[in-house]
Amino acid sequence: MRLRFTLNGEPQELDASPTASLTEVLRSLGLTGTKEGCRIGVCGLCTVLVDDLPVSSCLFLAPCAEGRQVWTVEGLARRDPAVVAAFVEHEGMQCGICTPGQVVMASAARSELGAGAAEAEIREYLIGNLCRCTGYQSIVMALGSVVAG
Amino acid sequence: MAPAGVPDALEALGAESSVVLAGGTSIGLLLGQALIEPSTLVWLGRIPSLREVAVEDDRIRIGATVTVRELARHPVVRSRLPAVATAAGSVGNPRIRAVATVGGALGHADPRQDLPPALAASGATVEIAGPGGTRRVDVARLATGLMETVVAPDELITGVDIPLPEAARGVYLRFTPASAADWPTVSAAAVSRRGPDGIVTDVSLALGGVGPTVLTVPEAGELKGSVAPSEEDIRAVADAAGRRCDPVADRLGSAAYKRAMAAVWARRALQACLEGAGRS
Ligand SMILES: Cc1cc2nc3c(=O)[nH]c(=O)nc-3n(C[C@H](O)[C@H](O)[C@H](O)COP(=O)(O)OP(=O)(O)OC[C@H]3O[C@@H](n4cnc5c(N)ncnc54)[C@H](O)[C@@H]3O)c2cc1C
Ligand code: FES
Ligand code: FES
Repeated sequence: MRLRFTLNGEPQELDASPTASLTEVLRSLGLTGTKEGCRIGVCGLCTVLVDDLPVSSCLFLAPCAEGRQVWTVEGLARRDPAVVAAFVEHEGMQCGICTPGQVVMASAARSELGAGAAEAEIREYLIGNLCRCTGYQSIVMALGSVVAG
Repeated sequence: MAPAGVPDALEALGAESSVVLAGGTSIGLLLGQALIEPSTLVWLGRIPSLREVAVEDDRIRIGATVTVRELARHPVVRSRLPAVATAAGSVGNPRIRAVATVGGALGHADPRQDLPPALAASGATVEIAGPGGTRRVDVARLATGLMETVVAPDELITGVDIPLPEAARGVYLRFTPASAADWPTVSAAAVSRRGPDGIVTDVSLALGGVGPTVLTVPEAGELKGSVAPSEEDIRAVADAAGRRCDPVADRLGSAAYKRAMAAVWARRALQACLEGAGRS
């Protein structure tokens, strides 16, 4: 089926299977910053923004993106360079596999939580983004500085 | 396909092996694992009437495709239905809540889901549209078994209707001994109402995770009639909840453990919702 949506600020039109996941569609476009991990919504590697809210693109059926605003880590890195800079400054990554998803969550957290969010709220917000390198402390610090603006 | 109205959706659902798609957090998972192969997915995301929330003096109607995030943040739900707001805010993680819908939370009928116990304890009814018209079913009676509901394949959940009583107090507690983002081992929702004199006029209790469907505990009604129900009476109801439940052993706990935890968390929910005489 024909699918039209806005991808990282640019209009996009392509053919997609009615049961394709948004992860598959994005990766087929070369946007491999969106990783596929668990495919069941629990790890956060595939996080993208749809209409400014974070979603697991592995569970998001591509046709449901019709007419909507999709932002991937590639676009957000250009739109919000300060978010990436916060992860660099706080060394919020080790192996890096979870980092794109954490960066997308950080970008969403800024509008969802707002300045003044308590650390407990930030940790709660990251509940579904796993880091197997256990770098949570530096990730939470990176998010804290993003949210504080 | 993406019908623009409920009648079109119902017509599409009349076809063999067509399935309702709402947020798709469960459908996406089942498709990804090749556990379902529907001929047609009837997506509800283009039906404006299903996205509406209507507040009246004594009730609130939530459309089926209102998201769990929107439910958790709705000011009336937060102020007057705290058990429902807490349950909605506990669903999975922020990415799930942004997408999963109220209709999906009911239609999926996984007994560990957070919303059904909170909605059942709040006396909510589900609105179901079908070829023969619309009918209403109590949330407590919607699920008939593990992932099975009274909703026929050619029917659609269109919304949920929740009473907004005066002087009600609601609590939702979730016992999640594994990762915080995991399913609860046991969850308990308790809602109490009081008269103008502070006397408890009604108490309802519903548990999740401890049987094939949400478990309602009618003994909770015995706690009405006084300003401050005794500790003993609360324990008796909580123990009755433990006896009524029918849990299965899985990675979240053995059946005996879940039964014991059901009584503990039922007691805590009742205590929290009944503490403080006359408080609204
Ligand atoms: C990783 C993960 C963690 C989760 N954790 C929790 C949790 O902790 N607590 C919790 O409560 N939930 C949790 N969920 C969410 C829950 O299990 C369901 O996925 C969700 O509630 C389904 O909503 P949906 O709108 O995405 O439904 P869909 O996936 O679109 O549909 C789910 C089912 O309901 C049916 N359905 C949907 N809408 C309707 C309707 N209007 N009428 C009739 N049938 C309908 C569908 O046909 C399908 O069978 C989690 C989900 C995931 C993926
Ligand atoms: S791959 Fe989507 S959440 Fe893990
Ligand atoms: S940095 Fe390695 S998993 Fe997070």
